Amino acid sequence: MSHKRLPYSRRDFLMNAGSGLGAIALSSMMAADGLVPRAAGATLPDPLAPKPPHFKPTAKSVIWCFMEGGPSHLDTFDPKPELVRLAGQPMPASFGHPITAMGTGNNTLMPSKRTFKQFGQSGIWVSDWYPEIAKHVDEMTVFQACWADGLNHVGSVCQMNTCSILAGRPALGSWVMYGLGSANENLPTFVVLTDAGEVIGGPKNWSSGFLPATYQGTLFRNTGAPILDLIPPDAIGNRQQRGRLDLLKTLNQHFDADKQDDSDLDARINSYELAYRMQAAGPEAVDLTKETEETKKLYGMDDEATARYGTNCLLARRLVERGVRFVELYCGSGSGWDAHTDIEGNHSKWCKVSDKPIAGLLTDLKARGLLDSTLVVWGGEFGRTPFNEKGDGRDHNPWGFTIWMAGGGVKPGQVLGKTDEIGLRGVEKRAHVTDIHATVLQAMGLDHKRVTYLHNGRSERPTVVTGEVIKEAFA
Amino acid sequence: MQRRYWAFQPVRQTPPPAVKSAGWVVNPIDAFIEHALEEKGLRASPEADRITLLRRVSFDLTGLPPTPDEVAAFLADKSPNAYEKVVDRLLASPRYGERWGRHWLDLARYAESEGFKSDETRPNAWRYRDYVINAFNSNKPYDRFVKEQIAGDELWPNDPWAQVATGFSRQYPDESNARNLMQRRQEILNDITDTVGATFLAMTYGCARCHDHKFDPILQADYYRLQAFFANTAADDQIPMVSPAEVAAWKAKRAVWEEKTKDIRAQMDALLAPKKAALAKENFDKFPPEIQAAVTKDPAARTPYEWQMYAKAKPYFEFDDETTAKSLKGADRDKYKELTAQLAAFSSIDPGPLPVGIGMRDLNDKAPATHILNVGAYDAPKEEVQPGFLTIVDPNDPKIVPPAGLNSTGRRTALANWLASPDNPLTARVFVNRLWHYHFGQGIAPSPSDFGLMGGRPTNPELLDWLAADFVKSGWDVKRMQKMMVMSAAYRQSSAFNAEAAKQDPDNRLLWRFPRQRLEGEEIRDAALYVSGLLNDKMSGPSVFPQLPAGTAKPRGGWTVSSPEEQDRRSIYIFVRRNARYPMLEQFDMPDTHESCGRRNQTITAPQAMSLLNDTVTLEWAQAFAGRVVREAGPDPNAEIERAWVLAFGRKPDGFEKDTVQTFFAKQKQVIADEAANRKLALPTTLPPGTDTSQAAALVDFCQMLMNSNEFVYVN
Repeated sequence: MSHKRLPYSRRDFLMNAGSGLGAIALSSMMAADGLVPRAAGATLPDPLAPKPPHFKPTAKSVIWCFMEGGPSHLDTFDPKPELVRLAGQPMPASFGHPITAMGTGNNTLMPSKRTFKQFGQSGIWVSDWYPEIAKHVDEMTVFQACWADGLNHVGSVCQMNTCSILAGRPALGSWVMYGLGSANENLPTFVVLTDAGEVIGGPKNWSSGFLPATYQGTLFRNTGAPILDLIPPDAIGNRQQRGRLDLLKTLNQHFDADKQDDSDLDARINSYELAYRMQAAGPEAVDLTKETEETKKLYGMDDEATARYGTNCLLARRLVERGVRFVELYCGSGSGWDAHTDIEGNHSKWCKVSDKPIAGLLTDLKARGLLDSTLVVWGGEFGRTPFNEKGDGRDHNPWGFTIWMAGGGVKPGQVLGKTDEIGLRGVEKRAHVTDIHATVLQAMGLDHKRVTYLHNGRSERPTVVTGEVIKEAFA
Repeated sequence: MQRRYWAFQPVRQTPPPAVKSAGWVVNPIDAFIEHALEEKGLRASPEADRITLLRRVSFDLTGLPPTPDEVAAFLADKSPNAYEKVVDRLLASPRYGERWGRHWLDLARYAESEGFKSDETRPNAWRYRDYVINAFNSNKPYDRFVKEQIAGDELWPNDPWAQVATGFSRQYPDESNARNLMQRRQEILNDITDTVGATFLAMTYGCARCHDHKFDPILQADYYRLQAFFANTAADDQIPMVSPAEVAAWKAKRAVWEEKTKDIRAQMDALLAPKKAALAKENFDKFPPEIQAAVTKDPAARTPYEWQMYAKAKPYFEFDDETTAKSLKGADRDKYKELTAQLAAFSSIDPGPLPVGIGMRDLNDKAPATHILNVGAYDAPKEEVQPGFLTIVDPNDPKIVPPAGLNSTGRRTALANWLASPDNPLTARVFVNRLWHYHFGQGIAPSPSDFGLMGGRPTNPELLDWLAADFVKSGWDVKRMQKMMVMSAAYRQSSAFNAEAAKQDPDNRLLWRFPRQRLEGEEIRDAALYVSGLLNDKMSGPSVFPQLPAGTAKPRGGWTVSSPEEQDRRSIYIFVRRNARYPMLEQFDMPDTHESCGRRNQTITAPQAMSLLNDTVTLEWAQAFAGRVVREAGPDPNAEIERAWVLAFGRKPDGFEKDTVQTFFAKQKQVIADEAANRKLALPTTLPPGTDTSQAAALVDFCQMLMNSNEFVYVN
């Protein structure tokens, strides 16, 4: 991954930012002379200034609960009685021979050991691994026929974040930040939280890709304080700090004056301004001591198994409350859900880790009137296969899997799409990753075809060249 | 993709192409670069100015900025080889090994703890770090460097440092509390296979653990064939770091001490024995039956695999006296205490522990069988494989001869010889490309650890081959190759933007300018310490523990802060705890040590800004920096500004900058005075009597902002 040295990007940035979104006419005009001169010390337009959406948004923020490693749809939201009938048999020939990551396509079918029940008014099926989340089905649109292109984790996690299995494109959160600017300049607009190891593929998953580096996500720490060195030492007064930063900014802009091409330098200036603003707002935003015991319990923070992810979910609520637009909450970061063997052991652990915290988040958002404006997304980078791996595990399945959304204007209590009888492939109303991204952007008031950025002569958009908004998702 | 694929072709050295602007060409590198540029109708950029060049090459080769004296000397040196003299000086500096050793440690996933949940310290792991630094500083030929790391124990059994070199494989993360030792062994072997594949061959072997590689011609069998070279290895954490004669002398001394303390120690042992037996039984009972059998079996009857299990299990039955003694109660405890005191009376004749290093060796001369594993699972063996190379490159069976006089299989010697062979199409290409990547910010082949299809094609394959061939011909001379790279006109180009060239080649793949680079975290920290006059240039030895920022979770495994002088040593000497990287370095993209890293991320984040802006440690650096400025230039503010500038950037401030800072001083002094109530100001470490403290605090602010500036953290 490399998002350094993008010789055109500052110029592109000026073109793109100068007149709002998709300033193609202006950009082609200015492209003619190659670059935009800049006087020493002149200030750039604020890349995080709020920008109007394309249409009225139904969501102000997104909280994406990313079950990393690939949760099994077949054992959570997509019951397949047919698998019980076919248990122990190879897949019927009609399903062909899918090439899987581990070459398990000829293995026998394995039914779920879980018990499924229908919940709520909507009667949506959920397994006994998700008893708390099941209580919220009437707030969800469940996309049961999602599909993606990658077979392995690196590419698939990357695609779920950027629409491409290859590194180098901006993450969805970066596009949102670019498209809408910041709703709270005192906090990062795009925040990433992990709960275990490093996300497979690391920072490229929240990278700004070819967008200016300012739009990259900010990773919070997952032990101790979420952000270190948030406030200066006692010896430095607040006005003194401002004075220091003003000096720094002036010197940086002077240094950068003849380096118009390098957006990293601007991003660094902006990172200091954000750091300064966060100094005031950050400690309060991440301070959970103000939360009641009841609230903490709601998120499962009183139980060791759920405390870490519950803390992240609560942090996410506090962040969106304060205008953060995009929060990504990895559960099982470092491929925790990757149950090639012992899916019972693996998933019972991770479902437990995520059940109460996510349910608590939904309950809490609703109680505070925030669910209407917050789009909560649940899903992994792919699902898992109906045939077994090693007898008690499941392989990667990018052809048919479940993602659900709640709040943020999605239609409550519906299932969209369907997988085949064994849950291998989506067969009705399939939703590709790009469709999902287009739909999330739509909720945020952005037309995925009109959020564009000129890069190397191409007008790039979040969904690359495909993707359609799933209109039925909205109420 | 197949045999014709570029990376598997024999290295072919074609003569440097003829170019139109031959005057620009300093060495053959430039002919290749210029030729590629000319084909696109592009021109290289003019040479960077001297200060920029000196700063660039100083950071690049030593990780530190030039001193003001070095700048002055270079500016004053009008001889035609002035730059070459600088390059020679830098390559000869001990700081060079500290910089380039760090790159190698990224590849070696170097860490000083186990990882997993408890992340215990690995004592003596640091010796591998010292080995790497010394290898670069002494310009060890790369083929030798490779061989030592793969099979130093077999090839140079009498050289302790060659044993420590095998620490390359010993750097695996390890679940030291695992009960399933069969799985634990397999995971270690997987880690070694992946790391060796990525580091030396730039092949993502890992994919082939479970299946034939999807994109590259690496068969699943190849994965296990490579792994089989390591099948009989085990950690050796007791490598004596002194000569055999010294070991003998130590043993003699130790024998005297042992004899004189025999009774005391026997009594102590008797007190501890029941405790240890109980602990051992507890651990034994937790092992699966296969492991229990391997432990209890008659050694003469143990299979090679059982020896492996036995070696892994052994530490579970060894208990430290001091820790065990803590569980003694009542009279036993008193007795033990008394005996400890008696024993202490003999401490003057106790030679103490031998200095030891950690590495890998074969357990004996018979390796257990290696099988292809179904989806990589240790307990799903398929057909057996023998050690072997990447089939597409070399399908022949390796010649494996157990080394004479050693109880070892000789397998790794065969691998070492193959890797370090002039005929191996990958080893030299991979390494010169790594050098290029670090010097120029991007490799000729863009993914230094992935020469496969997904890694992207080299921009200038003829250049890569020319360099690889030249490197081998020179006797794998690393410094010579680096000198050629940094002497090239391509390297000396300005980094200034060129709109016309950018239109043709927006990512600068053809190198029409030198790419501006952000310093790595280690360089930023070292440079800040250096200009502040704080840097302790002590080399080698156990790692140090700098103060952690407030709010950092206490690292599991411990973090006892070192003395102030020790804290100020170069970043490469900071303890690397696998699960808790030193926060400042982590913020600035120091890689995770769970796997080999051939290319660091370069992020720009607010937490980075906070680290340099708000951490108490960085403020202390600024106070020292300001103190140095006061000592060397004060009290005239103008002279102070100039001195600080030259220290930080190697150049003098221009008029705008001077004015800006003067205005800043005037205003900031007032702000500080206004806010000074109830506040202990951060002042320069040197402060002449009668100094205005507000002015002095503003000087600290100014110095700290210089260390935060873009000019400080970027190299043009």
